[in-house]
Order: sequence, then structure tokens, then C-alpha cells
Amino acid sequence: MTLLTRLGTLPRRVSSTPKLNCPPSSPFSRPSRPPTIHQRRAYAPLLHHPLQIYRSSSADPYLNLSIEHHLLTRSDPDSTILFLYTNRPCVVIGRNQNPWLEVNLHALREGLPPPPDGTPQEAGGGGNTPISLVRRRSGGGTVFHDAGNTNYSVICPPRIFDRDRHALMVVRALQSLGVAAPLTHPNAVRVNERHDIVLDRPDGETANGVRTFKVSGSAYKLTRTRALHHGTCLLGSGNLGRVGGLLRGPLGGFVKARGVESVRSAICNVGGGREEFEEAVVGEFVRMYGDGAGEGVVIGEEEALRQEEVVKGVRELMDAEWIFGQTPGFVFSTHPTEEDPRERPAVEWSLPDDFHAQLTVRHGEIQSARFAGFEYRDFGVDEACEDGILSTTLAGKRLHHIKDWRRTLKQASPAAIDADNVGDWLNHMFGIRPPAPFDTTHTPAGSSVGGAVAEAVVQAISHTPVAQLLSGRDIDL
Amino acid sequence: MASIARCLRVARPAAFSAVSRSSASRTPAARCFSVTAANAIKRYTKEHEWIDVTADKKTGVVGITEYAARQLGDIVYVELPEEGKAVAAGDAIGAVESVKSAADINAPISCKITQVNLLLEDKPDTINKVAEDDSHGGGWIAKVQLTEDGVNEFDALMDEAAYAEFTSEEGDH
Repeated sequence: MTLLTRLGTLPRRVSSTPKLNCPPSSPFSRPSRPPTIHQRRAYAPLLHHPLQIYRSSSADPYLNLSIEHHLLTRSDPDSTILFLYTNRPCVVIGRNQNPWLEVNLHALREGLPPPPDGTPQEAGGGGNTPISLVRRRSGGGTVFHDAGNTNYSVICPPRIFDRDRHALMVVRALQSLGVAAPLTHPNAVRVNERHDIVLDRPDGETANGVRTFKVSGSAYKLTRTRALHHGTCLLGSGNLGRVGGLLRGPLGGFVKARGVESVRSAICNVGGGREEFEEAVVGEFVRMYGDGAGEGVVIGEEEALRQEEVVKGVRELMDAEWIFGQTPGFVFSTHPTEEDPRERPAVEWSLPDDFHAQLTVRHGEIQSARFAGFEYRDFGVDEACEDGILSTTLAGKRLHHIKDWRRTLKQASPAAIDADNVGDWLNHMFGIRPPAPFDTTHTPAGSSVGGAVAEAVVQAISHTPVAQLLSGRDIDL
Repeated sequence: MASIARCLRVARPAAFSAVSRSSASRTPAARCFSVTAANAIKRYTKEHEWIDVTADKKTGVVGITEYAARQLGDIVYVELPEEGKAVAAGDAIGAVESVKSAADINAPISCKITQVNLLLEDKPDTINKVAEDDSHGGGWIAKVQLTEDGVNEFDALMDEAAYAEFTSEEGDH
């Protein structure tokens, strides 16, 4: 979680950083080449070109991933494509991950505070900057993006694909920018065994004299005819200290989940600006594949949204049924079970003493619920029987549609029930900010903060420029 | 399952050379024979799926090949096909995730999905162990009903010898 300030000013490219930066095994000659000129023009007619280089001028993560998907599915199968984009603040989970586990949905909803100097991070109306929740189509773990993180994406035929090939391309780009700091450590920037790009920084307190930080994470999507490798690169994010708090939900100790769990890594910025980095990556891409791509093309939002398939892709990615409903199956349980005998974290003291809860969730839908130990207000009710009825009633509900567990529990219970404490705790667990108490009579201004997590996500999305552009075209989000 | 074939060359050279060797001289111990249907016929796609159909070519079992499973590495999640769905040859019917890669599973022929292997939900790595086993406990992905087109498409797929040659050529690149 450290900022690499000493690399804040980078030497300009190859001429000023001699051969030391170039790994001896590099097969690529390094002729000096003029900077790529990016033109804003239509990209769809270029999809059959053997080499294509694009940059997006949009900061919308849903749109950028959908342009990328359009390139993946509609480009000539023999073509090789480089696509560069930078998103506004967002948390991006992998295709087969669980947002309730991987993301602190409360923190996400809070957004990012304005920086101390008062300049807003994004045009967002003075308050906190919202953070979008995105599920990408590729595999892998959860990452944070903001304006200080630039993403590269290479789409190529399967026959030349391997997991390190283009991460190494980016390493060479970083080395050409002087990030390698070869005088302090020969392997300062490298691809590790997880196919991520890491930076070894000198550190006298460790046994081997270096401390390793992740600066770029990789993920892949393989289709019948194409291979996609995309990766992040932390250049100068001002939010590194906040990332940890965004990426850990309270649910962790209570859940056994199928699917993919993120691996936590210490991260740092490599320094340098976005354009400098993009230029260096384009340079390395051209060295690998030749100059045939000609000049790079800048893809604008309006141009992208003229592509029917991009619009379709954006709508798919923004759909709460994709963001939450794609979640692999999981079991939430307050107590050890046969399948998951781990000791559970202590629950809220305010819960009933012998309170038990277990939820089996598949594709966001509660398959079965087993609640026990509720306190009922009526004397003489058969509590076990009431618990059973309540549990059965919950089956079939979509977890991300629940707006307030207190109300859901009360509605599911045939007898008068004390469900506020349990409901509050479950709201906390599943990232729900309920409407203010007793809100049936008066709704305070700004109550839009309450409600189901799915609603909150859709609401945040609906304020984005892309969503407004889409809705201006009478597309129903 | 198209693109996994060569993806680990840099990352796992040992695994890769092991594959080239084994495709040339497959040892019985490394293989799993299917036992469900007498006279079943098995074919392979260039995208590394296998399909085993009954003698009357009405029904079959689909999976990804041992070669593909080795190339993919540790499979951590399987998105199963949708039961009851009619699909055309080459359609993505599901996906597997391994080492940060979501790889499509494609329908080898036109068919209707009649059953999926729920075992893979809990034990996705079964595919790494017994990818071509179509029995209970095996790594098969779906049972299918062949369409008329599907029967013709099936006949055009590679048999075992052709697939072995195909993968050894891929390994030589």
C-alpha cells in the first residue's frame, strides 16, 4: 500500500535510459519511432485489419468492457488488437466471483471522499465520488480501478496466446519508461508466477533486501476463435490506501463459496502519466507485431454506442442479474456445519442467544433457508414450528432484491416476531442499507441511499453519462 | 475450449512437453475408458471437446479432452450448460475457469442438452482428473440428444487417431 514517489518523474523513453533496462533475452529490436498519433474515427470498418490499435476516450467501465467484447467477438479471427482504456472509480470482480464476499458493499456505496485539496475526482456534484460495481466476462480476481490506473487489452488468435506473453510486453514498456530501476535491483519489474506484474523495491528490513508489490493484474477470456488478455496497471492512483477497505465484505467468516476467491496482494503505483504509459505500450506492441496497424484510433462514447452489440453488451454488464445473479453457489451459516466445520466469527451481541441461520444461495436466489431461535412476541406459539414456516417462506427470494431484512423476516413470519436485531445484522452482512426506520409515513429527502444492493447499484449506474446517453435513445435500463 | 492449447508454453514448459510426449504414445494407465454404452463411438473437435454417442446416434455425452484439461491447469469453477437448451455446433454452452482464464465450452455438434454433471459444481477439478470419463463420478459435462444436423456434424469430427495427431502437431509448434 505504498506510493512509489521516487519514480514520480520518469526519464523519457529509450534514448535516455540505456540498454540496462532491456532484458538481455528480449528478441525485439528497439528502433526509435515517432509517437503514435491517435485519431478519433469509426472503428467498426477496421475490424478486419490484421493489426489494430485503439484507445477509448470513455471512462465508463461498462462501456469500455463492452467495446473490448465487441472487438473480441467481431474482429477478424487472425487479427491482433491492442486496446487501452482508463475507467472512473470502480471495483471489478471476476466472472465467477461473489460480490457479497469480495466487495464491501457499504464502503462502495459511500463512495470516495473528495481529495484533501478539494478538487473533485470526477464530475459528480461535490459529494463523494461514486464507485461502480462491475462483473467482467473474464476470469480471475477483484481489482480496483480509478483514473490513476490504465488498462491494456490484447486480443489475438489462440495459436500465439500464452498467459505471460503480453504481460511481458507491458513489463518491457515499463522498463522503457525507466520503472525498472535496474541499478537498485536487476529484476525490479517482472511477471510473477501468477502472471501479474510486480515491482521489487529495495527494503532493508526484509531478508532478501526487497519488498514486492503488485502493480498490474491479469485476466483472460478464451473463446472458440479468440484469446483475450487484459490487465490493469497502477500508474498514479491516489486511492491505494482505500482499496483494502473496499475489497473486504463482512461476510467472509460465515460463508463457504464455490467459484473464485481473490488473492490479496500489496499494491503500489509505478509512477508516470497515462499518455506516457500508453505510448510505451503501443511502442512495444508495434515492435512485436509490426507497424501495420498504422495510426491508433480513439474510440469515443457516441461512436461506440452506435454499435448495436456494444449497447447490448453495456446492458448485459449493467444488469443486476449479471452482477449478482451470476454469483456461484454459496452457503451462509452462523454456526459450523458438516460441510464447513470452521469456527464462525462472533455474531452481534444483540442477537438471540440460540440464534441459528443458514442460507443456501444459488445464482442469487435463496434455495433453502434454516432459521432457528427467533423470539416471538406471542406466548404459547410453537417457536420451532414458526421458525420452520418462516424459513420455508424465504426460499425462492432473490438475495439482491431484499430491501430490508427486518421487513422481509417480519413478512415471512406468521406470528409476531422480534426481528429487528437479526434484520439489522443481516442487512449489515449483505451490504443492504435499509430505508430509515418507520419510513412508512415520511420519506426523508435523499432516501435513495436505502434499499436492496441491486437497486443501489442500478441507481448509481443510472447517473452515469453512458446510462444517460442510452436512456436518451429510449433504451430502457 | 479453443485457445487453451498453447497457452502455457512459457508458464509451464514441463507440463507442455509432457503433453507432446503423451499424445504420441498414450499409455493405458493415463486414460479413462467409457463404459456406459456398448459400441459407443467417440469423436473430437479442434476446439478440444469430445463427444461419445450411442450406436444409434440418438444420444451422446460431451466433455473437454484430457489434453485440454492439462493445458488449462487447475480448474476452479465450471459454469454448466442449461438443461433443455437446444444449441448449434460451436455455440458456447458453458465455461470453465482456471488460472484467471474463463474458457468457453463449445457444443461439438447441434444438439439438445438433456442433463448436466452437477458433480462439477462441487468438484470442478474432476475434469483435471478424469476429463473423458462419462460415468458417474467422471468429468463429463453434459448429456445430449443429437439433432439431424448433429448426426452429420458428428460424422465430420476427428476420430481418436486423428485427434492424437492433431494435438501432437499443435504441440510441435
